[in-house]
Amino acid sequence: MDALANNFQVLFQGLALGSIYALVALGFVLIIRATNVVNFAQGDFAMLGAYLMVAFLTAAGYPYWLAFALALLAMGVFGLVFNYGVYYPLRHRGFLPVIISTLGASIFLQNSVLALFGAQPRRLDNVIQGGVQIGSVFLDSQYLVILAVTMVMVAFQYFFFEHTLIGKKLQATSQDKDMARLLGIPVALMIAITFIYSSMLGGLAGVLVGPVLFVSIGMGSIIALKAFAATIIGGFGDVKGAIVGGLFIGVVESFAAYYISVPYKDAYAFLMLFLVLVFRPQGFFGERVSEKA
Amino acid sequence: MRISLTGALLAGAAASLFGLTSLAAETVKVGLIAEITGPNAEAGTYTLNGARLAVEDINKKGGILGKQVELVIEDNQSTNPGTVLAFSKLGGNKDIPAIIGPIRSTQTQAASPSIAKLGIPTMIGGSDPSLTKVNNRWLFRCRPSDLYSSRVIADFGVNKLKLKKWVIVHSTDAFGAGGAKALSEALKEYGVEPVLMQGYTNNSQDFTPVVLAIKKSGADVIGSYMTNSQDVGIFAKQLRQLGVTTPWIGSASIVTDTAMKLAGASLDGTYGVADFNPDANDQAKAFSKAYRAAYKLEPDVYSSWAYDAMNVIATALNAAKSDHAEDIRKAVVGIKGWKGVEGTYNFDDNGDGLRGYNIVKNDAGKVKFVEHIDFYK
Repeated sequence: MDALANNFQVLFQGLALGSIYALVALGFVLIIRATNVVNFAQGDFAMLGAYLMVAFLTAAGYPYWLAFALALLAMGVFGLVFNYGVYYPLRHRGFLPVIISTLGASIFLQNSVLALFGAQPRRLDNVIQGGVQIGSVFLDSQYLVILAVTMVMVAFQYFFFEHTLIGKKLQATSQDKDMARLLGIPVALMIAITFIYSSMLGGLAGVLVGPVLFVSIGMGSIIALKAFAATIIGGFGDVKGAIVGGLFIGVVESFAAYYISVPYKDAYAFLMLFLVLVFRPQGFFGERVSEKA
Repeated sequence: MRISLTGALLAGAAASLFGLTSLAAETVKVGLIAEITGPNAEAGTYTLNGARLAVEDINKKGGILGKQVELVIEDNQSTNPGTVLAFSKLGGNKDIPAIIGPIRSTQTQAASPSIAKLGIPTMIGGSDPSLTKVNNRWLFRCRPSDLYSSRVIADFGVNKLKLKKWVIVHSTDAFGAGGAKALSEALKEYGVEPVLMQGYTNNSQDFTPVVLAIKKSGADVIGSYMTNSQDVGIFAKQLRQLGVTTPWIGSASIVTDTAMKLAGASLDGTYGVADFNPDANDQAKAFSKAYRAAYKLEPDVYSSWAYDAMNVIATALNAAKSDHAEDIRKAVVGIKGWKGVEGTYNFDDNGDGLRGYNIVKNDAGKVKFVEHIDFYK
């Protein structure tokens, strides 16, 4: 009975952290699909979102939902600025200059936030205080919120991409830019929308995870590393894969830490990555490269 | 340009020939390596504050050998390679007679060979006991080593709290692993074998497996060596959420301002060893008053150690009346019974200045001084 409770506790923590990896991984994937580059500042979107929340909630003293809305809105605007400042000027220069540009943006963001907010980590309170106690199992309310919001976001994303015109235009852009352009889809605008959406998604992840991991400059890098592994495990550039990959890494590292060894916790994600690359290089849901040719 | 450069070189050569390198300059330059950027930038800010406050004090009292003191600050980006780089930068500056080095054990380890090669007296804050035993004559520790923190934790837990079933939670870096080993050895002297030694890597996001292991072990006291305040915060929160209420005696990070702000009520009632406490002695009281007035912040160990280190350098230079490394070394080792904010300094030949710690208690978010345990004989 006790073992069952412990296993449930470990599963719960793994799913909740996995959800955060999934949200950040989703941001990775959307940008990969739209632009064929990896955005190395994706983790810092989460960090920025969390700090914006700190600014609106703690410093400005706005009520939670207003602060939340303002933080997401600001992340949207930031995504647009990011698109025109980091990606757009280099869009015809191939993939390496853009990647380096996103790396530069990541360093710039971390140090700007450091200069603005100082180095001391900040505390964000749970959306709902407390948690649910079932026997010896404790479900932190914030982890429950994270799980719920991730499910809603996955559903929303499915609806948005499959059942709205703009979603279909975005899909068309990611599949074949030239064809999309011939059909009269404004490709540059679609890419800008992708950056706005990814930025908001990253910001959302940061706001959600802030109360659990605390808000610090380095919080994004830790999450992004796992999220990046999740995108590859799930299938590079695959939306379903990002979600399943994120949850998979969260659960595997949680159980491996519990049953095998805690100090090697971070290694399990990369061990999984290694195994997937050896036995299924295209990831869980990825297409084989040969089929694309 | 070329002429003036040659002139400067000649002047420099002449000055060093007469052993006047830095004292010939208008100010006395002291190197400071701090974590100004990177994940530990928070600690770096406190270190800078402490060192700057000491420099102000020293300058107000007439400086070093009649000259004003100036800090030459190098950022180590919170990394080991950054520390090595910072040392080679400062070491290349012949005007710097002494350096305040890193507070982290790993960074000190990384830079130790370069410091030995440069031969510049360096104050360190890393508390891994082995640091001053690696045949490097130029390291002087301005904090008590973990040899003593572990003995104080063991002494307090076993003799005062009368608890015998120990679990040791530790970070797997040099500081955490060294501290955990020292604590288990200190406990052996009291005939206690820890029931569990549980490591974790820095910046862990989830401590659930650690907490569950502690629950399973049936321990009645936790001793911890955790490096980052943020990890202390997350661990404390999850520990209480999962219903573990055993007494907890932690290393210095448990009573940092950051850890207490982040963890809130989860850290209530925990004990910590602190080389620094604002109420531990008269020097600490005066320093804390000045620090609060200057920075509107509570001082912590990152600032107090830098404050003491700067004052040790000033005391040694004033006593040596020279900027030669050998003379400074002799002067530092000669410091006995000097009262700093972290306690009374009695340097030995290894370069260790302190041998005691304060036990403090987190009383509803306020750090209360409990007692000072000293092993100096």
